[in-house]
Amino acid sequence: MSQRLPEPWGLLIDRSRTIRFTFEGARIDACAGDTVSSALLARGDWLLGRSLKYHRPRGPFTLTGDDANTLIQLGDTHNVPAEQVPAQSGLTVTGQHYSGSLRRDRARLTERFARFLPVGFYYHAFYRPRGIWDYWERFIRRAAGLGRVNTAAGHGYYDKNYAFCDVAVVGGGVAGLAAALAAAEDGADTVVIERESLCGGGLNYHRFDAEGESGAKVRNELMRALEAQPRVRIWTDTTCTGRFGDNLLALIHGDRLTKLRAGRVVIATGAIGQPAVFHGNDLPAIALGSGVQRLMRLYGVRPGQRAVCVTANADGYGVALDLADAGVDVASVVDLRRTPDPDPRVDAVHARGIAVHTGCAIRHATERNQRVAGLRIVDRERIDDAAAPGVDFDCDLVTVDVGATPAVSLIAHAGGDVSYSESNHGLAIRSLPPGMHVAGSVCGPCTLTSAQREGQAAGRAAARAEAAALPDPTLRDGPTNDGWPIFPHSKGKEFVDFDEDLMIKDLVNATKEGFSSIELVKRFSTVGMGPSQGRTAAVNAVRLVADATGEALEGARASTNRPPAFPEKYGHLAGRGFDPVRYTAMQRCHEVADARMMVAGAWLRPAWYGGDRQEAINREVKAVREAVAVIDVSTLGGIEVRGEDAAEFLNRMYTFAYKKQPVNRSRYLLMTDDTGSIVDDGVAARLGEDYYYVTATTGGVENVYRRMLWWNAQWRLDVDIINVTAAYAGINIAGPYSRRALERLDSDIDFSAAAFPYMEVRTGHVAGIPVRAMRVGFVGELGYELHCPASYGEALWEQLMAAGEPDGIRPFGVEAQRVLRLEKGHIIVGQDTDNLTHPTEAAMGWAIARRKPFFVGRPGIEAREQHTLTRQLVGFQLPADTATLPEESHLVVDGEAILGRVTSIAWSQTLGRPIGMAFVSPAQAEAGRHFTIKAQRGNRIEAEVVDTPFYDPDNERQNL
Amino acid sequence: MKLMNCPLNGWRNIGEFVYGGEVRPAPGADADTETWADWVFMVDNQAGVVREWWFHAPTSYWFIAERDTANDTLIRTYPAAEIFTERVEFASGEKSS
Amino acid sequence: MAFGLLKFGLRRTYRARGILPPRPALKSSYDVVIIGAGGHGLAAAHHLAKDHGITEVAVLDKGYLAGGNTARNTAIVRSNYLTPEGVRFYDEAMQLWRGLSHELGLNLMLSNRGHLTLAHSDAALRTMRWRAEVNKHQGVDSELIDPGEIRKLCPQLDLSDEARWPILGALYHPPGATARHDAVAWGYAHEASRRGVEIHEHTEVTGFRREGSRVTAVETDRGTIHCGRVLQAVAGNSTRVGDMVGLRMPIRTVPLQACVSVPIMPVIDPIIVSGSLHTYIWQTARGELVMGGSADPYPGYTTRSTLDFKEGLMAHAMELFPFLGEVRLNRQWAGMTDMTPDFSPIMGKTPLDNYYIDAGWGTWGFKATPVCGKRMAETVANDRAPEIIHAFDMGRFARFDQVGERGAASVGH
Repeated sequence: MSQRLPEPWGLLIDRSRTIRFTFEGARIDACAGDTVSSALLARGDWLLGRSLKYHRPRGPFTLTGDDANTLIQLGDTHNVPAEQVPAQSGLTVTGQHYSGSLRRDRARLTERFARFLPVGFYYHAFYRPRGIWDYWERFIRRAAGLGRVNTAAGHGYYDKNYAFCDVAVVGGGVAGLAAALAAAEDGADTVVIERESLCGGGLNYHRFDAEGESGAKVRNELMRALEAQPRVRIWTDTTCTGRFGDNLLALIHGDRLTKLRAGRVVIATGAIGQPAVFHGNDLPAIALGSGVQRLMRLYGVRPGQRAVCVTANADGYGVALDLADAGVDVASVVDLRRTPDPDPRVDAVHARGIAVHTGCAIRHATERNQRVAGLRIVDRERIDDAAAPGVDFDCDLVTVDVGATPAVSLIAHAGGDVSYSESNHGLAIRSLPPGMHVAGSVCGPCTLTSAQREGQAAGRAAARAEAAALPDPTLRDGPTNDGWPIFPHSKGKEFVDFDEDLMIKDLVNATKEGFSSIELVKRFSTVGMGPSQGRTAAVNAVRLVADATGEALEGARASTNRPPAFPEKYGHLAGRGFDPVRYTAMQRCHEVADARMMVAGAWLRPAWYGGDRQEAINREVKAVREAVAVIDVSTLGGIEVRGEDAAEFLNRMYTFAYKKQPVNRSRYLLMTDDTGSIVDDGVAARLGEDYYYVTATTGGVENVYRRMLWWNAQWRLDVDIINVTAAYAGINIAGPYSRRALERLDSDIDFSAAAFPYMEVRTGHVAGIPVRAMRVGFVGELGYELHCPASYGEALWEQLMAAGEPDGIRPFGVEAQRVLRLEKGHIIVGQDTDNLTHPTEAAMGWAIARRKPFFVGRPGIEAREQHTLTRQLVGFQLPADTATLPEESHLVVDGEAILGRVTSIAWSQTLGRPIGMAFVSPAQAEAGRHFTIKAQRGNRIEAEVVDTPFYDPDNERQNL
Repeated sequence: MKLMNCPLNGWRNIGEFVYGGEVRPAPGADADTETWADWVFMVDNQAGVVREWWFHAPTSYWFIAERDTANDTLIRTYPAAEIFTERVEFASGEKSS
Repeated sequence: MAFGLLKFGLRRTYRARGILPPRPALKSSYDVVIIGAGGHGLAAAHHLAKDHGITEVAVLDKGYLAGGNTARNTAIVRSNYLTPEGVRFYDEAMQLWRGLSHELGLNLMLSNRGHLTLAHSDAALRTMRWRAEVNKHQGVDSELIDPGEIRKLCPQLDLSDEARWPILGALYHPPGATARHDAVAWGYAHEASRRGVEIHEHTEVTGFRREGSRVTAVETDRGTIHCGRVLQAVAGNSTRVGDMVGLRMPIRTVPLQACVSVPIMPVIDPIIVSGSLHTYIWQTARGELVMGGSADPYPGYTTRSTLDFKEGLMAHAMELFPFLGEVRLNRQWAGMTDMTPDFSPIMGKTPLDNYYIDAGWGTWGFKATPVCGKRMAETVANDRAPEIIHAFDMGRFARFDQVGERGAASVGH
C-alpha cells in the first residue's frame, strides 16, 4: 500500500514521473527524485538488509547512509547505501548477505546459537587439532562478505582533477552556508562541498519551532545571497572522504576524484544521530527522528501508521508534530528526561493532546513480520528491576532523538583532538589542527541561530586567515544528548554496534577478559570496525568501556578515527590508470621488422625479431659474428659532463681513472655505491679537454645522474652535468662488414682502421645526420656505436639498414646481445652482479685506480677487501651435449652448502656449446676447475671454469 | 605534508620530489673505515626538526629542507650552497690518474 | 574443535578467562626489563619465563599493549627469503607459528593461504628463481611457477599479454599464511603473565642510569627500576630509546601504510604480492581486502595516512585485478617501521654489557615474532647470541658487512 504523502511533502520528488526498478525480484514503482531507500519505504517496506552475525532483519536507521543497515547491490556495484542510490529505470537491486532471500534468510538460524557465540568466541576455539582453522575458515569465508564482485569486469572509467580555492566549506547546512557567505563577502574564492543533492541540511526537513516554518525561510535567504556572489562554487552530490596535509581535500563526485587544495577549511559537517540501546533496538522501522523527518519532507513518504517518539530533547517533540501533521497516529512521546526543558514544541504536543511520558527507560521493542511491532517503557529509576510495571505501546514506527555525535572525521584525520565531554554528554573537539575552522553542531548541540552565527564567524576568520575559534564545548545551547541511553536486558540483544552485531554484554565481557581500554576492546570485539566505522556505535562504546573499567568518562577518547570519512571506491583512487610506456625513436622500425618486445624499466625494447625465440637469436648472433647487424641502444643512458673539473669529477664518481684519458678516446666506467657495491657501468667518451659524454645502463641512468648532482652539490666542482638520454638515439652497428656498410654512406668521418682505431671517438655526420661515433667492443666484433639526435633516429636506422643490405644486414635484439657479450665475458650489471657485489668479487679489480685520493665507494671496497672473499665470478662451459641447460639463478652447491649461483647462461652457436658466468667459491675460481650446478628437479650438472673471453680471447676481431 | 617549497620552483606537489637522506657532510678522503662506515650506515633519525636533502625530480635540482619529522611539517628550504660553501679538495699527492 | 564454545552457552553468567592480566604495581627492581610490549617483547618475555625460568620480568610500554606495529601490520607470515641465513631464521619462525595457537591456548587464526610473489620482468624472474632455489635447498617449500600455474591458484589475476606489466611468472610459497596479529600479542601476554611476568602499559622510559658499560636502572614516568638485564624491542622508536642509553643505530623510522576494504564475498584465495608494482593484497575470513605497498618515500615519526599512498596502491592493484574498481576502501592506517640499510634486523648483544637489542624490523617484523621471542630470550638468558642470529649482529655495519636480503622484502623499497 502506498505510503505517499500529498504535497507540499516531498520536496525532491516529482509525482508525475514514475520510475520502475526491481528490488529482490519485485517490481517497484517510484517517483522521479526518489532514492531506492525512499521508494521502498514508500511501499511500507522497511526490510533492506541482514546483520553480519545473526542475520537479523535490518532497515534504515539514520536514513542518510551513515549507518550500514541499508547496503545493497546493483549489478556490479555493491555495498552502496540505498539512500545514496537515485531510483532509475531498469535498475536491478538486491539485498546482500543472506542465504535464500532477503525476506526468508535461512542464516537467521545462527541467532538461536547466540549464547554460544560470545564476543571473541573465535579466539577460544577452532584451533585444535593443529591446522584445523584452515578447515573452519573455509565455512566462515563462504558465509562472510557483504557484496558480490564481478571478477570479469574491466577497469571502468574513473578520472581525477585538481582544484584550488581560498576557503573550502565542508557541509552545506546552515552553518556551512553562513560560513561560505561570510567568506565570499570578504572576497575569498570559496567552495561549498555538500554530500546531498541539495544544500540546506536540516533547514530542509527539521522542525525548529512549533509552526515548522523557519527552516525553509533561512535556507532561501542564504541560498539567494550565495548565488549572488561571483566567487562561490557550490558542489552538491560531492563527498569529502578525507583531509590530508596542507589542506588537501579528497572529493568524490560521480566518477571523479577532485583533489582540492584549500587555503583554509571550514568544517560544518554537523552531527550524526545516535541510537538508544535497548532490547530489539535494531529492528526495522526504529529510526532517527531526523531521518523520519527527511523521509517525509524530502520524499513525501509516511513512515508508518502508529508511532512512538523516544526523545531526550525538544527535537523529538518536533518529530511528533511532523508525524501528526502527516496523519500518523502518535501513540506517545517517550521522554527519557524526568523534567523536560520548556520549549514551544513541547507545548504544542501537549496542546494537540498527544500523550507524553517522562522519566522513561525502554524495556524492549517487539517484532512482528520483521518490523517493530511494539515498545515497552518503564520508569527510568526502576530499569534494573525486572518486575517493574511497564507501559506497552502497539506501534509500527519508533523514532529516536536521544542525542547526536559530531561528525568530526576530517578534524580527527588532520590531528585534531576529540574526547568525551560530560557537560555535552558527547564527544567534543578539544583542539583544532592548523588551518581548520569549525562551526555548527559539529562543535556540539547547537540552535539554528547559534549555528548561523558560528558559521559567519568561521567563514570570516577563514577568509582572513585568522586564528580559528574553537567554541567552548560546555557552552552549547542546542538539543541535549542523553548521557546514558543504554538499557541492559536480561536477554541481551541491545545492540551497541549494528554492523558487528555487538550487544552490551559483549563490550562488558571484553573488559572482563582484560581488554581494559577502548583500543583493546575495539580489537577484541571488533566494535567500530564495520562499514560504518562506529558512526552510530563509538559514543556508546566509550560510555560502556569507561563504566566497566572504572575510568573517567570526561576526556575519554574513542578509537582512532581514520580516513576515509566514508567508504570510497578503489576506482576513484586509481583514476584512469595511466602508466606511460617509453618508446625509442625507432619503435616503428621494430614493429615493421616483427620485433618481440621486452620490458626494460619503463621502456620497451626488442628482445628478438620474428618467430621462434631460439632460432631468431641464433640468426641474429650469426649475422653479428659473420656479417653485419644493428641494435637500437637508445635506451642506454647518456650524460654530458662539461667544465674545467670534468675529468676530476669523473675520477671521483667512478672507480677508474680519467684525467689522462686522451681526447677522442673512450674508457670503461664502473660505478660503485657508498658501500662499495657495483651499481652501474658504461663508457666515457672524451670529446674535449673539458667535455665528456658518459653512458650508463638503461635502468641505472636516472640514479647515476641523481647521484652525480648530489655529490657535486657538496663538492662544488666546476662542472655542468646534463642527462641527455632522451635527446639522443643510439644504434650499434656490429660485425666484420660494419665498416664497409658505413663507408657506403656519405660521411665526413673516416671509418678506416688507420684513421679510426678501436676505443676512439669521432664527431661528424653520416648520411647528413649529426653523430657521435664510438668504436666499442661490447659484442666482440668490429663495430661502431652511433649517437644522433633522437629526431634523426629512425632516419639513421633506415640509412644503415639500406647501407648494409648487400651484406645481409639484419636487426638484432637484447637476447642476441646477451649471448654475444657473454661470449666475450662482459658482465651485465644487475644480472651478473647483485646488490652486494663488489669489484674484486666480479674480477674487476683492474677497473679500480688505486692511487686516486678518493672515489665514491672506495672506503667500502677497501673495507670489504679485508674480509675473506666468499665468492668469485667466473666464466664456465658445459658439455656440448647437455640436454637441458640450467637456468640463471640455479645454485652452485657442494652438498648442503650453497657456494654461489649461475648469473648468465646461454647456448653459444658460435662456440658450439653452452657457456655462462657464475659465482663460485674462490677455491674453484681457476680455469680448469669444476663445480656443481643444482639445476632443474635438483639434477646436478658439472661445469668447468673457463677463462674469459670465451670467444676471440685475443680480442682481434673488435680491433679490425 | 603535501607541498614542498622548492627554492628554485616554489611550492610544488610533494609527488614531484625525492627524499635524499640526512644532511651529513662526508668524511675526508683519508678518514678511517669506522668513520666512513658510520657515515654510510648510521643516521641520526631524530623525532623533531631535521635537515635533509630533497630533489625536485622534474628540474633535477637538489636542495636542503628543514622538516619536523614528529608532525610531518615543513619548516624551511634553501639551496645547498648555504651549507656547502667551499669546493671540496682531496689530498694533493695523487699520483698518476 | 568447536566444543570449547559449549561452555559459553551452558553457563548463565559469562566466566571470563582473563586473557589479559590486570595492571600490577611497578616494583623497584627486576631481573629483566623489556622495553616494548609489542609482539616481540611479549614473545621474549614468554620464552624467558617458559624456557629459562626467568620470571622476574617487567615488560614496559608507553602506550597500550601491542599498540605499535603489532597492531598495524598486515599479518603475512612466510619464509621465502633470499639469503640462506634469512631462510633458516624465518623458517624456524614458520615452524613455531604452526604450533603457536596450541602453545598459547588462543586461536591465532593461522590461515595457510599460499603466497605468490609476481614477476613482471626477466630480472624479477631471475630473483624469484634465486629465492626458490635457496628455499628448496634448505627444505623450504617454494617454486617458480609460470602463468598457467598462477591461473590455477588465482584465476582473478589479469594474466593477459595486454596488461601494462605482464606477469611472467611467480615465486609460489605454499606455506605462506596470515595470522590474527593482535591475538598473537594477547596470547604471549597471557602465557607470560601466567608465569609471573608483569606487563606495564602506559609506562614510558625516560632515561637510563649507567655505570661504565653497565646499565643499572631504567627511569620511567612511573618510577625508576633497577635492572639486571635490559632488552630493547621498540621498533620505530629504536633510535629514541637507543639515544637515551647511548647506542648508535643504522635505523631510519619510516611510516608504512596499509588499508582495508568493506567486506566482499570471497574473490582472492592466496596472498598476492607484486614487488615491481609495490602492491600486496589478501582477503580476510570476514571478506575484507587487506592491502599495502612500499614504505613511505621519506622518514617520519608519524602514523598519518596520505592520499598519495592509496592512489598509487589502487592504480597498481587494478593493474593486477582490473575488476576491483567497485570495491570500497573502509579504513587506512600506518605504523612506524625501523628500516635498516640491508633489510635485515639487528639482534643480539650491544657494546653495553647487559643491554640487548631487537630492532631493525622494517616491513618484515611480524612474521619473525615467534623466533625473535625464542632467540632473544636465549640471548638475554645466556648473555650470548645463538648462531642462528649471528648474521644480524649490530656490529656488521661498521665492517661494511651487510646481509644480502634486498630482493626478498616482497615489495620494493
